[in-house]
Formats: sequence, structure tokens, C-alpha cells
Amino acid sequence: MDVFLQQALNGLTLGSIYGLVALGLTLVYGILHVPNFAHGALYMVGAYVSYFIMVEHGLNYWVAMAGAGVVVAVLSVLCERLVFHPLRHAPPIHDKIAAIGILLFLEAVVQMHWGADFRRMPTPYTEIFHFGSLTLPAQRLLIIVGAFSLMGALHLYLKKTMTGSTIIAMAQNREGAFLVGIDANRVAMMTFAIAGFLAAVGATLFAPINLVYPAMGHLVIMKAFVIIILGGMGSIPGAIVGGLIIGFAEALGGYYLSGTYKDLIAFVLLVAILSIKPTGLFTKGVR
Amino acid sequence: MKLTRTFRRLAVASAVALTLGGVAQAEEVTIGFTGPLSGGAALYGENTVEGLRMAATEINEAGGFDVDGENYTIKIEALDDKYSPSQAAVNGKRLVQQYKAPIIFTPHSGGTFALQAFNERDGFLVMSYTSVPAVTAKGNKLTVKIPPNFTDYLVPFAKITMDRFGKNMAVANATHDYAKYWTKEFVPVWRKMGGEVVATNPMDYNKSADYYTGVSKVLAEKPDVMFVGGASEPTGLVVRQARELGFKGGFVIMDQAKIDEVAKVSGGLESLEGSVGVVPLADYNTPGAERFVKLWTEKHDGVATSETAYHYFAMYLLMHAMQEAGSVDDPAAIRAAIPEALKDVDPKHNPYDVTAITDDGNLGAEPQIAEVKDGKVVIRETRDYKE
Repeated sequence: MDVFLQQALNGLTLGSIYGLVALGLTLVYGILHVPNFAHGALYMVGAYVSYFIMVEHGLNYWVAMAGAGVVVAVLSVLCERLVFHPLRHAPPIHDKIAAIGILLFLEAVVQMHWGADFRRMPTPYTEIFHFGSLTLPAQRLLIIVGAFSLMGALHLYLKKTMTGSTIIAMAQNREGAFLVGIDANRVAMMTFAIAGFLAAVGATLFAPINLVYPAMGHLVIMKAFVIIILGGMGSIPGAIVGGLIIGFAEALGGYYLSGTYKDLIAFVLLVAILSIKPTGLFTKGVR
Repeated sequence: MKLTRTFRRLAVASAVALTLGGVAQAEEVTIGFTGPLSGGAALYGENTVEGLRMAATEINEAGGFDVDGENYTIKIEALDDKYSPSQAAVNGKRLVQQYKAPIIFTPHSGGTFALQAFNERDGFLVMSYTSVPAVTAKGNKLTVKIPPNFTDYLVPFAKITMDRFGKNMAVANATHDYAKYWTKEFVPVWRKMGGEVVATNPMDYNKSADYYTGVSKVLAEKPDVMFVGGASEPTGLVVRQARELGFKGGFVIMDQAKIDEVAKVSGGLESLEGSVGVVPLADYNTPGAERFVKLWTEKHDGVATSETAYHYFAMYLLMHAMQEAGSVDDPAAIRAAIPEALKDVDPKHNPYDVTAITDDGNLGAEPQIAEVKDGKVVIRETRDYKE
């Protein structure tokens, strides 16, 4: 039982990070209608900005997280303004190519400035809690709590505020949104900002238990793609539930079945779920 | 994603080509390199090629070198293969045909095997940085293997950790080819010495976001010793997470990971108490090693690694071999001149005191071993731990 709980905790940690990244991806999907390949690069940049603020400038972890959130949100908006907005009348393939371009560009810039080294970002929370035979380092607890509070906050924002509702309206029906007078530019920028912010905060939460390096985004973005397909493209609850499913599948599957095949388990799940619900778990008319 | 990869490869290749392009001079020897310069293993690849560049820069700044009355400078042409053997083969063809490189370095066994498929026919010398013995065991006449065989480490590693901690070992190293070779050779040695393997759970060190699951799985079998290793930093994470989960035993660290780099991630040398691994360059006390570490820290951040030092040495060795052979484009003659050239290499360019090469092309010196004892690195000689 303890073993099961330990693995469930691991799954929850992983799942909440995957969920955060997938949330940003799914929100942007609502605007772009193509997966934003550059999202993993934004995640990576977020980790580097935190590293820069915290390790190279010696500031507080929370300051670093806020700083990274703001910087990446701005960067994300810039991507929208300078790249995706001018392409809004182009065929979707152009968006995809542009996104790959941004990905390459950001990775190259980071590798040029910081090099390809693996870097380690320390955490101020180094305690390790023991509950019976359960081990829970403080940083992992922080990841779970942090991720779920953010998800909660995002939910309230989207459901309870006017600007939040406009984002949902745009995702559900673009023409309809225009008809009721929603400013598409504003919503698009807002969405990219939120997505960038989520990616940066997710990266800052996760970096202390992992490493910071230019290719770190690939790992998470691949999972995030699976998650939004699993959960339904553009669906917010889908991203959260999908994240948890993949997290748990990796942790429990990795323990009880085989560590070698844990990625396979995630994809088998994907195939199984898609053959029962081809549009994903939570699709509601969003293309 | 296929598209992404192709694009990245193109971008990196062209970036590398641009930076290295420079102005061509008349008397220039091009030394080829194919290795991972992007992706998860980029750091390792950069470290290896940096060793070549450091030596080449020194040689060129000192006015080049003379072969048969002609003065030459060295140009390093480095191509990215992202650790893929097939890409290494493509790069190899390009380096020979387009850049006329008589010598190609590659820092991985997969790339070496790929190049060996055509190096004797196309006429270039493969300088292989891998400790897989099979690289030179196949009788390829134009292959030089730079580091020692990893099999030299097996018995001492097993003996030291088994005596100190116990007979139950868990295998938790990485899943790439090299790690598999290690497991295949190490497990029988461990068993032959009376040990038992209680858990086997290799993990993908490049693709895992987290090792808690894998590590707790092997720890559930209560091992005394954990066999870990892949790139240094992920290995550090595995060690760290094992300690967090309450593991008190020792680690056998595969030679790919370097103890000093692992310690930076795992939480200092204390977290590595009872580990055995290869000796960090900084702890080698040859004049060459000391000089090299100083040279490295002048221009770079981070720790000087053995792969950089070995490549630095290999570049000098080849320069002397070309001089001895009286040729810069006859790989067979250059290869044949290596035993003589070894005598010419200045000790300050030879951090590991390599003095001999076997007939099949094995350069390796007799390696030393590092054990972490009471929070310090203690050096052991391999010859003290024979079966």
C-alpha cells in the first residue's frame, strides 16, 4: 500500500507539471488551431530566466518565478504579434513552420548564451518529509500545491471574469465572438501571455528536481502533445485530466509493469482512449 | 516531429559550417569530427570537439607544423550527428569527399562502427573515443581507440564496493547502447565474485523527466550497491533521488559519468560516499593533467573533463604522427607512425601519460580508479585488484 501511495505521489508530481504545460498548449490551440511547437521552448526559456535571476543574480526563488513568468509571457506575446498574427490569413501549415522556427531560434539563442551544459537550479525548500515509509521532498509538495492552485486560479479567471470569458468564447466560435464585439487581438495576446506564464512557472517549479539545459523542453512538450490529444484539443479540463493520466501511467506503469516501457504505456493508453473516443476525452465542439 | 529534427540538423550543421568556415589557406590539414552537437548529449560532443580545437589553436598560433619541408596548419571540421550512427556515416562521407579529411574523430561507439563500414575503402583514419573493446577487436586497420577499455574497471569496481557494502547489487543505469555493453560485461563479473543482482531496472537517462519511480523500484529490493551511470548530470539526479529515498549503500558509477560532475548535482561528495568511478581529471597528478586543467579554466566555465583532455592529447599525437609519417594525407602511414609519434609527444600535452598503442589500435593507458571515502576522492590502481 505504501509503495502504491508513493508511486501515486510521484504520478501526481509529474502529472501536475505535464498538466500545467498542456494547459498553455491547449489554450493557444484555441487561438491558432494548430499545436504550438514552440511551447516547449518557452518552457525551457522560463527555466533559464529563473536560473538567471536566482543563481546568477542571487535573488529569491519566488522573485525568480514571477520574473520568469513575466518575461516568458512577454516573449510569448511577442511571438504572437511578430509571427503568428501576420500569418493569420495564411494556411495552417505556415503557422506550424513558424512555430518550429521559433523553437529552433529560442534553443539556439539559449545554447549560444548559456552553452549546452546541464545546469542545476537549487531550491530553497530542501526538507524531506516522511510519512511512515512515504518520502516527500518539500519541492515536490510545492509542485503539486503550486500547480493545482494555478489551475484553480486559471479556472476562476476563465469562468468568472469577463476577459476570461472572451478567451473561451474565441476558442469555441471565432465568428460568434467577433459578432458580439470581442477584440480578437486582445484575446489572442492575452491567451499567449497566460500560456507563456504557465510554462515558465511550471518550469521553475520543476527545474529544482530536474536539470536545466537547452533540450529540456522536448521532454515535456512531447508529453503535452499526447495530453492535449488525449484530453481533447482545446479542452481545459482535458489538459488537466490528461496530464494526471499520463503522470500516473508513467509512475504506476513504471513501477508495476516495466520502467523500460513506461513511455509505451502512455502511448498505448492514448491509442486505447482514442479508439473509444476519437475526439479525446473532453471535446465540446472545439475543433 | 520528423520535420523538426531535419530542420534542426540542417540549422546546426550550417551554423557549425559557418563558424568554422573561415578563410581557407593553401596548406591546411582538415581534421573531421562527427558527434552529438545538439540535443541531450550536446555537452559531451562539445567537450570532445573543444579538446581538438584547443590543441589546433595552440598548434596554429605557434606557426603550424612542418611535414616534409612544408608548413601546415590544422582546421577542425565538426559536423553534428546527434549521436545517430546513420548520421555519423553520412557526415563521414561528407568529411571525406567534401572536406578531404584524412582523419575523422567520433566520440561514440555507434558512430565508430558506422564509419568502420567504409573507412578502409575510402581511406581515412577513425579516431574513436569510446571504451567499447569491440571497436578495435574487429581488425579494422585504420582505427585508433583513444581511452582505455572499460572492461579494465569491472573487477576493481566490483571488489571495492562488494567488500565495503555487500553482495546485493541493483542495476539502475541508462538504456543506451554503451550502458547495455557495460551491464552485459559487469553483471557476470559481479556474479562470478559471489554477488547477486537483486533488481534490474535501467532507465532512459535522456528521456525521463523524473527517476523517483525507477529508483524506488530497485530500492524496494534492498540492494547494498547500485550500479548507475549515463551522462554525469542525470546520473547525479539518480544518485540524489536514491539518497532522498533512503539508500545508504554504495554506487558503482559507469565510466561515462565523472565523479566531480555527478557530485555537483547529487549534493556534494558526501552523497557519493562509497562510490567507485573513474578518476576526475582534476585529481590526476601528472604535470600534463595539472597544466591542462589550468588551461581549461582560463577560457571555460565548469569542470575540465577527461574527454576534452584525451582529444587534446590525440590532436598533438596526430600532428607528430603526420610528421613522422612525412605525409598529411596517407592515413595508413599516419597510423603506422603512431608508436614513434608517442615518443615525440611532450608530457605537457599528455595529461594521461599515454605511452603505448597495441597493434589493433588501442591507445589506452592503465587506468586508475577513484573511490569516495570519508568525503574525499581516493585514488586506487587497477593492477591492485586482479581476480
